[in-house]
Amino acid sequence: MGVIIGPRVIEAGLSLRLVLISPVAVAAGFPSPAQDYFDGRIDLNEHLIKDITSTYIVRVSGDSMEQAGISDGDELIVNRALEPRDGSVVVAVLDGELTVKRLKITAAGVVLQAANPLYPNISIPALADLTIWGVATRCLHHV
Amino acid sequence: MSETRQQIALVDVNCFYASAERVFDPSLEGKPLVVLSNNDGCAVTRSPEAKALGISTGEPWFKIAPRAKEWGLVARSSNYELYGDISARVMELLGRYSAWLEVYSIDEAFLGIKGSPDQVVGLGRTIKAAVQRNVGVPVCVGIAATKTLAKLANRWAKNNPALGGVCAWESMDPESRELLMARLPVSEVWGVAGRLEKRLNAIGICSILELSRADPVMVRDRFSVVLMRTVLELRGTPCLPLEEERVGWDQLIFSRSFSTPLTSVPEFRQVLSVYAQQASARLARHHLQAKVLTAFAGTSHYNPKDKSFPSACVPLPMPTSDPVLLTRAAHALLPAIQDGVKYARAGIMVTDLRPSRNQQPLEPFTNPHEERGIGPLVEQISRKYGRGTIGLGFAGLRSGLDWSMKRGMRSPRYTTHWDELPVVRAN
Repeated sequence: MGVIIGPRVIEAGLSLRLVLISPVAVAAGFPSPAQDYFDGRIDLNEHLIKDITSTYIVRVSGDSMEQAGISDGDELIVNRALEPRDGSVVVAVLDGELTVKRLKITAAGVVLQAANPLYPNISIPALADLTIWGVATRCLHHV
Repeated sequence: MSETRQQIALVDVNCFYASAERVFDPSLEGKPLVVLSNNDGCAVTRSPEAKALGISTGEPWFKIAPRAKEWGLVARSSNYELYGDISARVMELLGRYSAWLEVYSIDEAFLGIKGSPDQVVGLGRTIKAAVQRNVGVPVCVGIAATKTLAKLANRWAKNNPALGGVCAWESMDPESRELLMARLPVSEVWGVAGRLEKRLNAIGICSILELSRADPVMVRDRFSVVLMRTVLELRGTPCLPLEEERVGWDQLIFSRSFSTPLTSVPEFRQVLSVYAQQASARLARHHLQAKVLTAFAGTSHYNPKDKSFPSACVPLPMPTSDPVLLTRAAHALLPAIQDGVKYARAGIMVTDLRPSRNQQPLEPFTNPHEERGIGPLVEQISRKYGRGTIGLGFAGLRSGLDWSMKRGMRSPRYTTHWDELPVVRAN
């Protein structure tokens, strides 16, 4: 077992601190003309996550939503607090598993639609019989 | 203005760890589920289905495991990353319902609320529905004039399905309240257990009702001011205010059991170093300093021969959060470690905590390590490159942390690790 941080590294730590502090403390050059315009970089959280308590990120496995622009391996941003509507892409609980489908609410009942003709639709008698886990708001598609 | 006086709501998540597991794995719904303690030692959380099987809290996993299959019982290792995140979401959401929020533990919080009995019940239901919808975990809400009664109401909400998970003490009729308090043993009161219960029983106080009717002055004289407050709280007089910010954290404990027992002093030196540095990081994050450090170790309770429970209590030269000083103090345990004895757990505890000083002390009292900011530097590097990339001296990273936790049945860290996101099926 060796000493990982020896005295020399501690000195490096000290000088590192000085380096960090100096651009603020020492006004030795022409001030940057941009400094008054900088108020933070674009924060994806701010734009993609409306409510941090109800938003989860999930990963898609399979190609049944291909034609909705959701591919195998993509990440979905899912908000549990949103009301699912006709046409929403939802994460539903089917046979104890989380499954992504498009929700169609019709007079005849509720249908979970795949967005790929190779996969069947699933009919549900009523919305109340279905556990909707959340509503997808964005797809992070890998290009 | 009794209609709108201050009430306290206690919100807590039902079977928190098990409920958190179920958010991302709906197949666990309705199944008996236990979550195991550190190192998969024993069951710390049981779903109602697991409780129905007769599994008790703290039951060792090795005793349950042989029958798990036959029962259809699912076990999970503790997934602290997940539970921490779910807890943070619940607390954030609760904070939207009251400006007075006291986070009491990972799964429960007190909220100050106002309104008529009907209004507070309505708010309780709103909160319950919001947590279920947004975060995905079930909660129960107990509402009363005092914290002690809110705890009791919460318990009643949990055990009485007709209440739908929300119980306001005031909206129960007085006879039912008395009946309930008469039926519940005094140990069901918040803060009364073990020895205290025995002493109360000895003077004829067995039910909660009997405690609430005891003479407060007698209780103070024969027991403590703390218990007198409990009596008053049971009568509806608030004695425990909401602490919006708990400055006076009493202590921090870092304690783990090991996957394989520790038997030698060098191993202990490593373990204690790591704990001391974790304590240092946590203290720094909360702007706290400790005055006392206690280090301890112990053999397994399941191994009756070879008993050894050494500990060392070290007063620190000054309040500090410095990793070098804390590590050095933790090593005070080493002389007490018996070579060859199989220690199953070890830990350190820092106590007598106080806020970090704002002003610099006089020079003779300054701590050279603190001045150089080693603690913050280590923390900064760890945050950037991950825990375990850097450590002081005996935190000995080269030999690997082979004593660290066994979490063989841990679910993915769904919300904190990009490569462990929950998977949704599209096939």
